Amino acid sequence: MTKRKMFFRMIVASLMRRRSRMLVALLSIAIGATVLSGLVTIYYDVPRQMGAEFRNYGANMIFTAADKDFTLEDVNQGAAQISKSDIVGIAPYRYENVRINESPVVAAATDMEGAKAASPYWSVDGEWPSAPEQLLVGANVAESYRLKTGSYITVSYTPDLESAEDGEVVQDNFIDFEITGILDTGGSEEDYVYMSLEDMEKLTGEAGNIDVAELSISAQSDQLTAYMNKINSNVSTVNARLVKRVTASETTVLTKLQALVLLVTIVVLALTMICVATTMTAVVAERRKEIGLRKAIGASDGSIIKEFMGESMLLGFIGGVLGSVLGFIFAQEVSVNVFSSSISFKPLLVPITIIVSIAVTGLSSLMPVKSATEIDPALVLKGE
Amino acid sequence: MALLELKNIYKIYGELHALDNVSLKVEKGEWVSIMGPSGSGKSTMMNIIGCMDKPTKGEVLLDGVDISKENAKNLTAIRRDKIGLIFQQFHLVNYLTAVENVMLAQYYHSMPDEKEAMEALERVGLADRAKHLPSQLSGGEQQRVCVARALINYPEIILADEPTGNLDEANEAVVVDLFHKLHNEGTTLIVVTHDPEVAEVAQRTLVLRSGRLAKEVVNENFTGQIHFNE
Amino acid sequence: MFLRMIKGTLFRQWKKMLMIAFTIALGASLATAMLSVMLDVGDKVNQELKTYGANITVVPKEASVLNNLYDVEGEESSGAYLDENELGKIKTIFWAFNIDDYAPFINVKAQLSDGSDITVVGSWFNHHMELPTGEQLDAGITSMRSWWEIEDGNWLDEQSHEDADICMVGTVLAKKLGLKSGDSVTVKGSSSEKNLKVVGVFNAGGDEDEQIFAPLNTAQALADLDGCVDSIEVSALTTPDNELAEKAAKDPKSLTVSQYETWYCTAYVSSICYQIQEVITDSVASPVRQVANSEGAILEKTQLLMVLITILSLIGASLGICNLVTASVMERSSEIGLMKAIGAQNGSVSGLVLTEIFITALVGGVAGFFAGCGFAQIIGHTVFSSAINIRPMIIPIVAVLVVLVTLIGSIPAIRMLLRLSPAEVLHGR
Repeated sequence: MTKRKMFFRMIVASLMRRRSRMLVALLSIAIGATVLSGLVTIYYDVPRQMGAEFRNYGANMIFTAADKDFTLEDVNQGAAQISKSDIVGIAPYRYENVRINESPVVAAATDMEGAKAASPYWSVDGEWPSAPEQLLVGANVAESYRLKTGSYITVSYTPDLESAEDGEVVQDNFIDFEITGILDTGGSEEDYVYMSLEDMEKLTGEAGNIDVAELSISAQSDQLTAYMNKINSNVSTVNARLVKRVTASETTVLTKLQALVLLVTIVVLALTMICVATTMTAVVAERRKEIGLRKAIGASDGSIIKEFMGESMLLGFIGGVLGSVLGFIFAQEVSVNVFSSSISFKPLLVPITIIVSIAVTGLSSLMPVKSATEIDPALVLKGE
Repeated sequence: MALLELKNIYKIYGELHALDNVSLKVEKGEWVSIMGPSGSGKSTMMNIIGCMDKPTKGEVLLDGVDISKENAKNLTAIRRDKIGLIFQQFHLVNYLTAVENVMLAQYYHSMPDEKEAMEALERVGLADRAKHLPSQLSGGEQQRVCVARALINYPEIILADEPTGNLDEANEAVVVDLFHKLHNEGTTLIVVTHDPEVAEVAQRTLVLRSGRLAKEVVNENFTGQIHFNE
Repeated sequence: MFLRMIKGTLFRQWKKMLMIAFTIALGASLATAMLSVMLDVGDKVNQELKTYGANITVVPKEASVLNNLYDVEGEESSGAYLDENELGKIKTIFWAFNIDDYAPFINVKAQLSDGSDITVVGSWFNHHMELPTGEQLDAGITSMRSWWEIEDGNWLDEQSHEDADICMVGTVLAKKLGLKSGDSVTVKGSSSEKNLKVVGVFNAGGDEDEQIFAPLNTAQALADLDGCVDSIEVSALTTPDNELAEKAAKDPKSLTVSQYETWYCTAYVSSICYQIQEVITDSVASPVRQVANSEGAILEKTQLLMVLITILSLIGASLGICNLVTASVMERSSEIGLMKAIGAQNGSVSGLVLTEIFITALVGGVAGFFAGCGFAQIIGHTVFSSAINIRPMIIPIVAVLVVLVTLIGSIPAIRMLLRLSPAEVLHGR
């Protein structure tokens, strides 16, 4: 049998046959490692997850016309410059003056699904329009015309007078819409009525230009600025701008939140690691007699330190592996509970967790082992 | 030349003279008992011989080399190579089996060799208990494991501190038996005890009192034969 | 004798006891810090979210319906205004303490010297108010438009330029007119003409970039609208909406009396709106959904996140302490064996060990509590630049936690030791 084999045989014997004590130590290391990997995972995932929450504030980029023509095609071309997975919603808007009961009202035509995604804060009493000839009415408009969900209303549009030939009598176009919902936002949106782009085309009789497109993009401000510059330089028909109110504030708040989680992580980690260290110290300290005995039968200080370090580092390794798994499960639970989305697995964190827990257990047992080896074996053995 | 020679050894703790001018020679192959009441300096002397302590003054010659001035690291090496220790409290590593405890001494000395360790356990009559943990062994069995561990590296001296102090009579006989066997094989034995029965079977008994060698009794009847026959 | 034995352990084994006390202190400080931060994080994050601006807008009742529509048609506004003199009342409502900031606005149509139309917005910048309660407040858009980027010059300082004709210009307009800070711009309102000195150029990233912002009185004078206000933006700290709040927002009269009380006395955005409507004559206060809804979502998530992190760290700390207490009690097996050998009853042995551990835990717990308050303050100052409020309810929580954890840690160990026979323990098997 080689020396190395005996070395491992001893370590394994110590771990297996002193099961309850070793479990105590292992538990503590595993908790430490769980806290480490769990909190660090959360720390790295918070901006992404929270960023998604911040999309509640709605669009953070808007496209406007750079030259005269600005169609849906241009919007899509601009959006193609943005990574698909980052786009939360795109809502193109075309505004026209229409008439309801012969009074002027602004009608906005949009892609309902896009608007819903880009402006999640819109509160609709009733249903979003989903079929042709359905209308979403702003709360103020609904109130002034006493409009109710489920009722029908005629919306008329007067085609451009100047394009009409002399002497021609311009006829109003009109469509009967079903009102599916009343929109409440607390903002100017309440003064408009919303219909689909197709209905608007039918009502006005022309394809027309998009006035503005709102985009909600899940990205931090650096990335957003990069997207904006890319679009402005690559797509000549689109003028992209950031919604400062949303982007600047998001950066401020997210920075604070991440700082909070970072600081909490550091405090919790530091305290947990000290906890692991004291436990390891206690576990090693109670084996002073054994250290004395080993010295008495001729072990050098170096070989005793080597054995104990080997033992605690193996413990650290097992604890680290356990902790990586448990920490990921914990982070996953948190993510599912808080953000209802799963967390991205960071493979790099596994070796880091294992190395840190090996280092902490190793270092925290090094001290008591060293102090135990300095003691006279005769004193330790006489101790009882 | 004597295997072990103590020349005018003093060990002073503050006012207390634990050892006060003690001189002693032990020849190779000799069996010596050290007796004395508590506080007579037995343990101090044993620690000095066992390279676990250094005298305040005086020389300790082991194999002609003065070890009294060596540092702790060298003392450990000397202890490992030349001395086998047996304790009253047995002191086995409680999570290692009997054979592993014996191998531990080999491990620190040179190379662990399970076969050789098994042979050592066979010599002390414990071959069938080799795979048991100390907690599964009786006191006598534990002490025999210690004996096996002490002799595994063929030390110059086996130093036993109250080896029978925690044993009943039957087990005491077994251990003393083992000492006889070792003695017959030529091992040098130094046994610290306050049990006269154990002391008497040695070739020579030294009696310590208040740190001084008070009396030296040579066992005229020493035959090297086994006394405790049942 | 009992006391003497305890004293003996505490003083002679002080190193070991110190380590237990230290671990308990660590756990207690962790619990204190995390609980404090967790309980306060809602307020703190709420405060941070104020950077998004107002979450309530107040407009005159008649104007709320049609004002914007007329704007589209290019006509003058309808003539319904709020009274400037009532502005102070907003700070007297039930939830006055939660009103973080607010600013009145008046939009005035005016012409530049070249005849082009522009909008001059009158508002508060850093308006100083002495409230009837004795409180002082600086309110206005300096803090409510925190996302404005000042490209040239400074924020308009209302307090040091009283009644001066000064203004801030949006970046688009400034470029068009070639204005820099220090230049003047002449605007002609419906009743008077003023020469305004530009103190700053801002980039708001929106429509405001084409407007001129001036102090409220200056803008009112342009159109002879003294004491008139178009709208008020209010930034309030609110509690995220729940079912009750949603029901109440639709119609407060549909609530039962006790529901109404609960709703009225909770800082829901709808109840604050309701209270503002009560004090401002003929007004409609409505939540800005973009801000109010998002705030609620983010607050909830942050709090939930902190709760879960706190739970993890509490479990970690508890297990750590349990562990060490178990280890340290087990270590004393020989001492306990000896006590039993000389005739101690199980009860008195357990009593002794428990008392010692609890005295240690008390010392550690108290030290840990104060250390934890310190950690909480470090977090508060580093992240939010303000102190974390240590709530008294944390003390009993931490105390119960420490006691429970110490008990759970020591009882199984003691039970195990008591089962051992003294002989076994003393022979070290």
